Amino acid sequence: MSTASQEFLRRAVVKSADLEHRAIIQRGMASYDAAAAKGRSRFADWEAARTRCAAIKAEGIANLAQHLTEFERRILERGGRVHWAENAEQANNYVVDLARARNVKTVVKSKSMVTEEIHLAGALEKIGVTVWETDLGEFIVQLRNEPPYHIVTPAMHLTRRQIADLFRDKLGENVEDADPGRLVAAARVALRRAFFSAEMGISGANFLVADTGMIALSTNEGNGRLTTSIPRIHVVVAGIEKIIPRMSDLAALWPVLATAGTGQPITTYSTLIRSARVAGEPDGPQELHVVLVDNGRTDLLANPETEEVLKCIRCGACLNICPIFRQVGGHTYGSIYPGPIGSVYTPRTAGLSEWGHLSYACSLCTACKGVCPVKIDLPKQLLLSRRDFIATGNVTPTERAGFAGFRWAVASARRFRLMGWMGRKALAVVNALGLSGTALDPMSVWTKYRSPMKLPKQSFRAWWGENGNG
Amino acid sequence: METVKTSARENILARIVKANARPRLVPLPVVPLEAIFPPISDPRQRFLDECAGNLTEVFQTSDSAGTAATLAAILSTVPAGDVYVQDAEELRPLAAIILQSRQVLLSSEGAPAERTQASLTLAHGFVAQTGSILTSSACGGRGASIVPPCHIVYGHGEQIVPDIAAALDRVRSAVPGASYVGLITGSSRTADIEKILVQGAHGPRRLVVILEN
Repeated sequence: MSTASQEFLRRAVVKSADLEHRAIIQRGMASYDAAAAKGRSRFADWEAARTRCAAIKAEGIANLAQHLTEFERRILERGGRVHWAENAEQANNYVVDLARARNVKTVVKSKSMVTEEIHLAGALEKIGVTVWETDLGEFIVQLRNEPPYHIVTPAMHLTRRQIADLFRDKLGENVEDADPGRLVAAARVALRRAFFSAEMGISGANFLVADTGMIALSTNEGNGRLTTSIPRIHVVVAGIEKIIPRMSDLAALWPVLATAGTGQPITTYSTLIRSARVAGEPDGPQELHVVLVDNGRTDLLANPETEEVLKCIRCGACLNICPIFRQVGGHTYGSIYPGPIGSVYTPRTAGLSEWGHLSYACSLCTACKGVCPVKIDLPKQLLLSRRDFIATGNVTPTERAGFAGFRWAVASARRFRLMGWMGRKALAVVNALGLSGTALDPMSVWTKYRSPMKLPKQSFRAWWGENGNG
Repeated sequence: METVKTSARENILARIVKANARPRLVPLPVVPLEAIFPPISDPRQRFLDECAGNLTEVFQTSDSAGTAATLAAILSTVPAGDVYVQDAEELRPLAAIILQSRQVLLSSEGAPAERTQASLTLAHGFVAQTGSILTSSACGGRGASIVPPCHIVYGHGEQIVPDIAAALDRVRSAVPGASYVGLITGSSRTADIEKILVQGAHGPRRLVVILEN
C-alpha cells in the first residue's frame, strides 16, 4: 500500500466523522444542487447541450495539433509569445526566467488548476517573488498554507468565523461579526494593493480558441480581469487540451460551463483576450506570454481508452454530486484534482502505483457520468484504472487468493449455496462470541464503525424460492 | 528565455500527431443551438428580465434630455470622486454633465486610477439571453469596466441582440482589432464564503445601463 493510499484512508476516517465538516459540506452542496437544478431548467434541452459540448471538445482533441498550431500562429501574429512545455519543470522555468529577466517582484494570480498542478507559485517564491492568489477562495487557502479544497470553490470547507479569525491573524483585519460582505471588503482592500503593485499577472485559460487565437477566461469576482488588465506582463498557463476549434463554440460552452459549475446562466466576466495592449488603448499589459503545458496530457491522448478524459472543462460538477467527495471532502484525496475527475486524472498522470487507490474512492453509483457537461464516462474510466492498477502488480497475495476463491465459489450454484451457509454460520459464531469489529471478524472493515449486521435466518435464494414468485 | 526551446514544441506535436493518427469514430452530428436554448420572442423584455435577475440596474430613457437627467440622478448616488469616461463623440455631452460636479478623466488621457469612483462607457451590444453587455478594450480600455466601483454603460435599444451566438458574430464585425473583448453579466460577485452571494468582490459593486430608446 502506498503512503498516499494509507494517508487517504486515515484522512477519510477522520473527515467522515467530523460533524462540523459534514455540516459545512452538506450546506454548501445543498445550495449548489438548488442553483444547478434551476440553471439546467433554463435550457430547452440540457441533454442536447451536453452532447454539443462533448462534440466540440472531442473535435478539438481529434485535431489537436492543427488547432494548437493555428492558435499559436494567431498569437504570434499579434506580437504574443508562445512557449511549449513538456512538463512542470519546463513550464515553471520559463515563467521563473521571465520574471527574473523582467525584474518582477510581485505576481498576482487568478485561479488556475494547471498552475496548482505544476506548483508554479512555489517556483516563483523560491526566487524571492511574492505571489498573491487573487481569487477570494484561493487567497483564503493560500493564507492557510493549504491546497484548494475544491476546484471551483477552494475554501468551501471553511466557516465565516474561521475566515474572520484567519484575516485577523494574517491581515490584521478585525471583522468581529464575520459578516461575509465585510470579509470580502477586507480581502478586496488587501488584493487591490497587490494588483496595483504587481508587475506580472498569471492567469489560466478556460478555453483556447483556435480560429481567432483567443484566450477565454471565465471569472465571477473580476480578479481574472484585474490580473489581465493592470500588471505590465500577462502570462497565460494552459493545458494543451483547453483548445476549442471556433469562437462560436462558446455560445454553447459558456452557458454550459457556468451552469455546471455554479448554476449561473453565464459567468459574470466572460472574457476573450487576443493580445497585449494595442496602439490607441489606454491600458492593458505590454507583453502577452502563453505557456502550453503537456505534463502527461499526450499520454492520456495516446491511449484510446483514456483520451476522453481530455474533454474535461474543470467545472467541478462531478465533485459536487459524488457521494464519496461529500463524505470525505476535497483534502482527503491528497491530489491536486479531487473527486471523480481527480481520481481518474491523478493515477493516469502522476503514477498508477502511487495513486491507483483513488480509482477505488468510488461506489460506482455513476452519478458523475450523469452530470458531466462533456459526457466523460467517469465510472468506466475508474474501472479501467482499477484494471490497469491490478495488472501492474498492485495486488496482495491474500486479495488474489480471496478473489480466486470467490470466482471458484460463484461458478457453481451448489458451491455458492454452501459458501453462503458457511458464511452465515461463521458470522453467527463471531457475533455470539462478541468478536464483532475485531480482527477476527471477517466483516471488520464494516463493523469497526458500525453495529453488527443482523443475520437473516435463511439465504436470499431460499427466501426467493418461498416468496419470490408470489 | 529568448532562446525558446523548439524541441519541446516538436516533441509535443509529434506525440499528438502519432496519437491522433489512429482511426476515429465518425463524429456525432452537431446539435443545433435552437435545440438547446428556448426561443427568445421579445429580446428587449428578456434583456430587462435577465438584468433584474443578475442585479444589473437598467434605466430606460426616451431622449438625450432624459438620459442627461438619469445620469445626474445616478451620479448623486455615487460617492464623491473622479469619473473615468471613454473618449467618444457620443459621450461628450454626458461628460459635460459630469464635469459640473466632478473631475473627469478621459480614456485618451490614460488608464483609470484606483481612486476613480465610477466609469462611463459605450458598449458594442446588449445580450438578451443572459442580460449581458458586450464590451471591449475599444470601450475605454480594459480597466474602465473593472477598476471603478460603479460602471455606467450608455447605449441604445437597437443594440440588443438576441443571444450569445449573435454577440460573438458582432465580435468579429464590430471589434476586429481590440486586444480584449468581454461579455459582462451583472456586477462583480463571489460566493466563496459559505456560498453566500456578495456583490463587489474585486470589480464594480454596481453595473448600471442607461438604455435610450
